[in-house]
Amino acid sequence: MKQLHTFDEVLDAQKVFRCLLEAMANPGRRCSIRQQQEKLFGENADILAVAMTLLDAKVPFSALENQALTEQILLLTHAKPVAPEEADYVFVSSANQLPTVMQKAKEGTLENPHSSATIVWKIPGGQLEREVLLSGPGVKGKTAVTVPQEVADAMQQRDAQEYEYPQGIDFIFLLPESELLCIPRLVRMEESGYGLCSSIGR
Amino acid sequence: MDKYNYAFLDEGSKREIRRSVLKAVAIPGYQVPFGSRELPIGRGWGTGGIQLTLSLIGPEDTLKVIDQGSDESVNAVNIKKFVKMCTDVPCTTRTQDATIIQTRHRIPEIPLTNKQILVLQVPLPEPLRIVEPQESITKKMHAESDYAPIWVQLYESLIKYGKITIGAEYPCLVEDRYMMNPSPIPKFDNPKLHEAECLYLFGAGREKKIYAIPPHTKVVSLAFEDIPFEKESFKGKQCRLCGSTDTYLDELFDSATGERYYQCSDTSYCKEVRSR
Repeated sequence: MKQLHTFDEVLDAQKVFRCLLEAMANPGRRCSIRQQQEKLFGENADILAVAMTLLDAKVPFSALENQALTEQILLLTHAKPVAPEEADYVFVSSANQLPTVMQKAKEGTLENPHSSATIVWKIPGGQLEREVLLSGPGVKGKTAVTVPQEVADAMQQRDAQEYEYPQGIDFIFLLPESELLCIPRLVRMEESGYGLCSSIGR
Repeated sequence: MDKYNYAFLDEGSKREIRRSVLKAVAIPGYQVPFGSRELPIGRGWGTGGIQLTLSLIGPEDTLKVIDQGSDESVNAVNIKKFVKMCTDVPCTTRTQDATIIQTRHRIPEIPLTNKQILVLQVPLPEPLRIVEPQESITKKMHAESDYAPIWVQLYESLIKYGKITIGAEYPCLVEDRYMMNPSPIPKFDNPKLHEAECLYLFGAGREKKIYAIPPHTKVVSLAFEDIPFEKESFKGKQCRLCGSTDTYLDELFDSATGERYYQCSDTSYCKEVRSR
């Protein structure tokens, strides 16, 4: 039988989850999933590692128009592909999809804010990075962090939606160096005044 | 235990708990419902905390379990044995060495670090249950931030007894939004939740709820402007074993002699002070 991957659904999934938890509890911190990601295949191995950690047959997800990614996630997790407005997890692989995702993603309700969507966003390499100030739960005071331009854009667009807390959407960004960076709904961004920094090649 | 999955729970259950944990961290203080699983321990014996611990734990972790501050009580020892049996992780009693600490009724005396996760077992997660029995209504009250009945309850206690009489489970407000039950920790431990370095996860197995306080989160114990929050005072008392005067003390009573004495509730801290 042909082996598709060597990602251990027990131990590798546990490690990816702990990275996700550390990143979600400490917004702005980058956590590496390189070792786990390398056990999967293709250019979206990082997305697949997160999908295998969080999704199963009862979880609705959307990979938008990326049919190949939808099929890969379906093959590995048996999760339900649905329209973006119904998805618990929306996997984004291109910045062009940003406006659609922001408009359609579930924000939850005041009674059930946990029924909102989590956006898993793959950030391509070669982008300029920007220093921003983050604040909110998980961040000590106001902390300066360097994030790729697309992360800053995504946060700006999310804030423009003016969700009424506790409604909102949470981000899991997959950075080019096999790193995770999470921005939960309460974390806010300000420009640090230093503007654009160096480029991240790869 | 070879026939069981690593960390006892099946992977589907772990994934569901993990999804709930991430939502709980994103919405501090909000109770995320989850499908609480059957365990070889009756509900009400720490099953919420155990399910969290089993979903978190991996081979690189070191576990510590305490019950009312003690590493050696029956509940703590049995939970430790169970988790060790199905994961083979090392267990410790030293707070500083643990990466995951599961606890009931106490937060350790030694400040926790950013690399540690404290898992609290919660019997009744709903702080509004005491004023409203229906879940559908308490959910609506949380949605609308309608916490007036709790304030009235505090005020009534003040009028009746001259002080707020809640000892453990003292309600607090998280990030100025969600009223939260910090589990039955004494008021003494409430300030440790505010702007902490570590992640706090709360699991209620019987009530099927998970909630969280991420590091550096604002957690304010309820108080009136003119009646500030007060934690238990042990002024003039000290631990009979280690002599500490700044820890949470248990009162012991000798019925034969009528003597009362005090000792640290956190046994590992007490031992460490004595060994210095």
